[in-house]
Amino acid sequence: MEKQLAMPRLRPEMTSGVLCAWLKEEGDTVEAGEPLYEVETDKVVNQIEATASGVLKKQLWEEGDQVAPGDPVAILETE
Amino acid sequence: MIYIETGSADVCYNFGAEYYFTVEKPLEDTVFLFWRTTPTLMVGRYQNVLEEVDRAYAAAHGIRIVRRMSGGGTIYTDPGGWQFTFIEDAREEDIQFQRYIAPVTGALAELGVEASFNGRNDLTVGGKKISGNAQYRLGGRVVHHGSLLFDTDLEQMAAATTVDRYKIQSKSIPSVRERVTNIAWHLPAPMDAEAFKAKIVEHILGPEGTVYVITPEDGRRIRELGEERFASWESTYGQGPAFNIERVGRFSGGTMRFRLEVKRGVIRQAAVSGDFFATLDGEAFGNALAGCRYERDAVRAALEALGADGTVYRVSAEEMAKAIVD
Repeated sequence: MEKQLAMPRLRPEMTSGVLCAWLKEEGDTVEAGEPLYEVETDKVVNQIEATASGVLKKQLWEEGDQVAPGDPVAILETE
Repeated sequence: MIYIETGSADVCYNFGAEYYFTVEKPLEDTVFLFWRTTPTLMVGRYQNVLEEVDRAYAAAHGIRIVRRMSGGGTIYTDPGGWQFTFIEDAREEDIQFQRYIAPVTGALAELGVEASFNGRNDLTVGGKKISGNAQYRLGGRVVHHGSLLFDTDLEQMAAATTVDRYKIQSKSIPSVRERVTNIAWHLPAPMDAEAFKAKIVEHILGPEGTVYVITPEDGRRIRELGEERFASWESTYGQGPAFNIERVGRFSGGTMRFRLEVKRGVIRQAAVSGDFFATLDGEAFGNALAGCRYERDAVRAALEALGADGTVYRVSAEEMAKAIVD
């Protein structure tokens, strides 16, 4: 089953953040709670943890892309 | 509040200490560090060193270049400035700066310096920046760190961060240039850097504060973390944004144009064109450069391994390497 992971809203006025690093590559196994990517917004870098376990099937953005809260970021293949 | 004296002016040791007390040894209360560095350029998490720093100037003046884990732009720090760090559990999802900056403005006010908070999470005096602030958050913990310009060499700061950006394309987060000033110039009575530190630490720690002393075991691990996570080439260059760069070398034997795609600090693709005369074609050069670090020595070694010396009319591998990387 596929599960989409979305960009969290990190502060009320957040309109977008820069996805500055993927910490897992496509094909990697990801456990819920493991850091999946980093996002920078207003001088704050947040490590975002996966909210489900599975295999990272697709990174939907490249490093450096601006992503809005709620937008899908990754697709996990879950059991 | 728990104060920890790192006793080091090595930026990597101090970054290592931040990481250690964030991830490996969280203490039961907010940790506060107050430290300084030898001359250092700290680039933000998602910045391109080449777009922010005059590397030749830094090398000539013994300035270290390191990457922070926090966001924002490049800052220059030296023994004339102080850095402060707060580490604690992230209390809520909301990102806050005011919580960490208010104690600092309070301490400055006590010394007679009225600092205000601008929209970019900086502190200013008379409209000029004295402090930049940034954070990183991981595993439910937050690290807030900020700089305090006390008596920093502002000329060196400007010189080290003035850079010819060539033809670089990237999605990196650029620094924002702001006018700066030193706190020491605004104190009603002269004070040396150590006395300033003592006052600020005393104010922020308050009567309830305690002190944690780094054990030899802590120190060993902090040094390891500093080396592994902050002092390496991978950290400074290998973790930056991908970029494309175009460089042109004009030699007595002709012009060579290099178009390079660099990711994680390594050349992924290279195209070479121009009106040079060579017994090797552009593709051979491109293949030789792909996979090598975007560094002068690595590029020269790759060109020498290809046998580039003598294959291009009146252009040596050394000259090509100089044209490709500063």
